[in-house]
Amino acid sequence: MRLEEELAEAMEAHVAGVRATPAMGGAIRRRNRAHRLRFRTAGVALATAAVAGAVPVYLSLNAGPAATAPGPAAQPGRGTEVAVVRDVTVPDVVGLHAQKALVVLEAAGLEAQVEGAGGEGDLVVQQTPAAGEKVARGHVVLLTSAPPGPTENPDPTADPDPTEDPGPGDEPSIPNDLGDLGDGRRFGGVEFTYLPEGLQWGEGSVKDGFGKTSYSTWWQEAGLEPGMYSVQAVVYRGQAATELGRRMKGYRDQGARPVEIGGERVYIVRAGESVGRIEEGGTPTAVWTEGAGLAIEVMMSPDYYARLGQEKAEAELKEIVEGVVPGR
Amino acid sequence: MTEEDEAAFDEFLAARSTALLRTAILVCGASQHDAEDLVQNALEKVYRHWSRIRHDNPESYARRVVVNAAISAARRRRVIQEITFARPPDTPAASPDVELREELVEELRRLPARMRAVLVLRYWEDLSENETAALMGCSAGTVKSQAARGLARIRERMGPREGVLG
Repeated sequence: MRLEEELAEAMEAHVAGVRATPAMGGAIRRRNRAHRLRFRTAGVALATAAVAGAVPVYLSLNAGPAATAPGPAAQPGRGTEVAVVRDVTVPDVVGLHAQKALVVLEAAGLEAQVEGAGGEGDLVVQQTPAAGEKVARGHVVLLTSAPPGPTENPDPTADPDPTEDPGPGDEPSIPNDLGDLGDGRRFGGVEFTYLPEGLQWGEGSVKDGFGKTSYSTWWQEAGLEPGMYSVQAVVYRGQAATELGRRMKGYRDQGARPVEIGGERVYIVRAGESVGRIEEGGTPTAVWTEGAGLAIEVMMSPDYYARLGQEKAEAELKEIVEGVVPGR
Repeated sequence: MTEEDEAAFDEFLAARSTALLRTAILVCGASQHDAEDLVQNALEKVYRHWSRIRHDNPESYARRVVVNAAISAARRRRVIQEITFARPPDTPAASPDVELREELVEELRRLPARMRAVLVLRYWEDLSENETAALMGCSAGTVKSQAARGLARIRERMGPREGVLG
């Protein structure tokens, strides 16, 4: 018997008894939720990225650069054996701003998947496959991004955004698109006059992370790690508000009924792990239309909800909603 | 994601997760438990992009993500620990066939991660050189040479076994 066949049999025998558990779907969705603490509508962010060139960031604060360690560059193909499907040479995007890398890769006919801390000024530190590799059009290039180091600027031609705050190099950088919001109660043209006691501003904010013309920030209990939220709010304006309107209709179709709070018809649902889906044990979420082209979403972290207890948590959520006033 | 997307993802898992888990075990040389963790993590990426990729060969996308993750994991493991593969103590005395298979799997594990991945994809998954190359993001020439070198190395380490390994 040839070694190839012998080997195939050995591999088959080695894994023949292995079966994936039916619980895998649930485990995957739980992981997905952990990724979406703040970028819960990653799909929307992606769609925006295609239009505006924004960076799709997936918040995964613990994912260090090791997550997609690149190999030594594989040897270039030998001409005669290059198959017809491989017609794109992967460009070198290491050292570029993640946003720029995305544009470069798209222009080359490739797709990109960015992982990293999620800061807007993050640089690409690794790419797989390596530059120079020939791959099929549409191949997904895995990029690992990280905040720029405090002193180095590996790409002097890149045009760093002067307003960005790279943050300390050894900590995950928290997006801070809207600058210093003070106590975080006024942003996106709206004021949150009520917040539960003990919450302080999370010192970060996201612009257009939930669709174009959306603004978001969050508040946290003392002692919570940076980047975690107890309560997060998103202000949707213009097109983003229209998108949220569709989501509300989806909630209605799933049987949710609005409650009236302070004159507004508010949907309070447990938002599931996938956008737009109600699910038992999902994130307690209030959404409503505040006015023409203005919609608001307030989410309470399931942890915080559990700590407050259902009754108190629901009362607090309603009070937050009631306290929202369009800014002057 | 729509409900239909969710249902399609569940169907996809039912059809493919076992095969992906097996691939991950072979490529990264890990225990089932570690491989499960790895596959869940990789499939979470698939899930994130699901509504976009589900109509465009999600299987090949998923396999690419899993194989890449398995290679990375194998590299990390290599640094942390020299992997040892003692047979579980309660395994009954094996027949020569079984012993040979175990040795082969062990030798497979001693190869560099990408080389092992090539052998798994080519000979266990039975992919062509071109398919393997597309999946791993390298050239078909690389696949060919890595496969040949991998086989040669195993053959060399297994020593002479007349009539067994041609």
